[in-house]
Amino acid sequence: MNRDTTLAKVGEFKPIDLLAVAAAREVTDGDVVFAGTGLPMLAIGLAQLTTAPSAVCIYEAGSVDGRPVSLPTSVGDARCIYQASVASGLFDVFNQLQRGKVDLAFLGGAEVDRYGNVNTTGMGKYGIVPEKRLTGSGGNSDINGLAKKTVFIMVQEKRRFREKVDFVTSPGWRVPKWPSGEMVHKKEVYNRAFRGGPEAVISNMAVFRFDENGEMYLDTYHPGFSPELVKENCSFDLNISRVRGETKPPTLGELDLLYNTIDPEGIFLP
Amino acid sequence: MAKPKKMTLQEAVAQIPDGAMLTFSGFTIWRRPMAAVYELIRQGKKDLHLVEVNGGTHSDLLIGAGCVKIWESCWIGHELFGKIGANLARRAEAGQVIIEDYSHVQILYRMAAGSMGLPYLPTFASMGTDMLNPAYDNLKTAGLRDGSNPKIPKKKYEIVSDPFYGGELLHIPAANPDWCIAHVQMVGEEGTVRVDGQLYSDSEAIKASDNVIIVAEQVVSEEFIRREPTRNLVAAHQVSCIVHQPWGAHPTGCFGCYETDGAFIQNFFKSTRSQEGLDAWVKEWIHDLPNFDAYLEKLGITRLEKLRANPAFGYSTTVKRGTRA
Repeated sequence: MNRDTTLAKVGEFKPIDLLAVAAAREVTDGDVVFAGTGLPMLAIGLAQLTTAPSAVCIYEAGSVDGRPVSLPTSVGDARCIYQASVASGLFDVFNQLQRGKVDLAFLGGAEVDRYGNVNTTGMGKYGIVPEKRLTGSGGNSDINGLAKKTVFIMVQEKRRFREKVDFVTSPGWRVPKWPSGEMVHKKEVYNRAFRGGPEAVISNMAVFRFDENGEMYLDTYHPGFSPELVKENCSFDLNISRVRGETKPPTLGELDLLYNTIDPEGIFLP
Repeated sequence: MAKPKKMTLQEAVAQIPDGAMLTFSGFTIWRRPMAAVYELIRQGKKDLHLVEVNGGTHSDLLIGAGCVKIWESCWIGHELFGKIGANLARRAEAGQVIIEDYSHVQILYRMAAGSMGLPYLPTFASMGTDMLNPAYDNLKTAGLRDGSNPKIPKKKYEIVSDPFYGGELLHIPAANPDWCIAHVQMVGEEGTVRVDGQLYSDSEAIKASDNVIIVAEQVVSEEFIRREPTRNLVAAHQVSCIVHQPWGAHPTGCFGCYETDGAFIQNFFKSTRSQEGLDAWVKEWIHDLPNFDAYLEKLGITRLEKLRANPAFGYSTTVKRGTRA
């Protein structure tokens, strides 16, 4: 299908559009993708309609390779299994994950550290009486631990990109090894089950990747931002020396698909 | 094994004692036994110990209403309609409810081990996280891992070496809840259970539990439900009692029957962030109504009809979901 490949100019797209498009570009055709509620659903939908038509989408509530004609609002949604190859449950799809069948996963979080450890459990002091309770891990930690590659979609704020997260919900490249809690490379904890980890973090300002030591660096900054501005919005000393330039904006064709085919009702794209 | 008895919702829920360990069918805001949860609150249950593969509107409400002492799970919220479980957060931050955090796979495996009659299952899931931080073993901190409650394992987890292939992994203890309350689409009059759509973790939750209350949209003859046994999830001898309660998962959704009532859940989330707000909501929607039929009448047929699923898809094609269409 011929789609308009003209790049949208600043002002012609919203930050959320670029998040969805940048995330979709992380999918390789043929990937088995675990996606969560929200932006990940837009990203996998867009990838399947453009560069990755044979990507398989798994939702953790138990839907395998659905072909929804109406956007699900959550992974448990009845819409997920329309034309699915299998409707099962958590035990089936999480076992596929543990078995090593998942190539890529889209995840989110409240805060992230320089090694890609993510917190979705609690802010401040944790323990039997937590200071500020969040949702908890869900499948985030399992998926980040056992998928080959994960991509995080997050809001960029100085307080959310931290030297150390308050609670390691989801394991990045350097993680606590219990019972001591010493921070070691993920490989030392996962042994035979190690198969990768966070590949990218996509925020409303930039795309970040991880170097050989598992440390986050700036890969591209979104149109309208600069490496310095992105660095100012990180609490840790962000490596901006490897920056490749600006993030490619959405094309008019991608925006058309997002607004008119994938989310015409305005559920995640109001 | 005696055939499961058909009961009213009131009778079924009355069997659950204070302090019981309880689990549920469904996933976040889908196919939760809401009618039974309202009845648990109406009957004033106390000190419940929830062990659930994930939480949602049902457990946040139950916790807000003061029925729960311990919540062991991995997640709570209302998906798109409320980003956190505000009632759990408020009560945990006040020291009124103990949270024990497991990951999704870990808590699923607790239930799966329970359903298999095993004491534990091994897994690689969520190693290298603070779920395993000994300082955050909250049941231990509370002194509840002393063996006095047979439903609470003496350890949260164990890191073990793999005796066969090398390396380390986790052992996660089984959970065997006293009760599972499951809302399903269909049950035979002798108790054969059918679930349509995603099965979530219903099989594990039902089979792990000592007693099972099945609340069904439809009760049909056994002859009918046994025409296609491959579509059935659980046999009658694994069920304790049956309740017929159409729309009994509202405001959560039920595949093939009705949509999640997002506007209702959003309103619940917004109006119950304070204890005063929660108390007012519980008074209006539970205590001021004699039963679930009165609740459905209060909702009104027009609202419910918009949620009804289109049989071609299994979901509603008329409910307004986003900001445009």
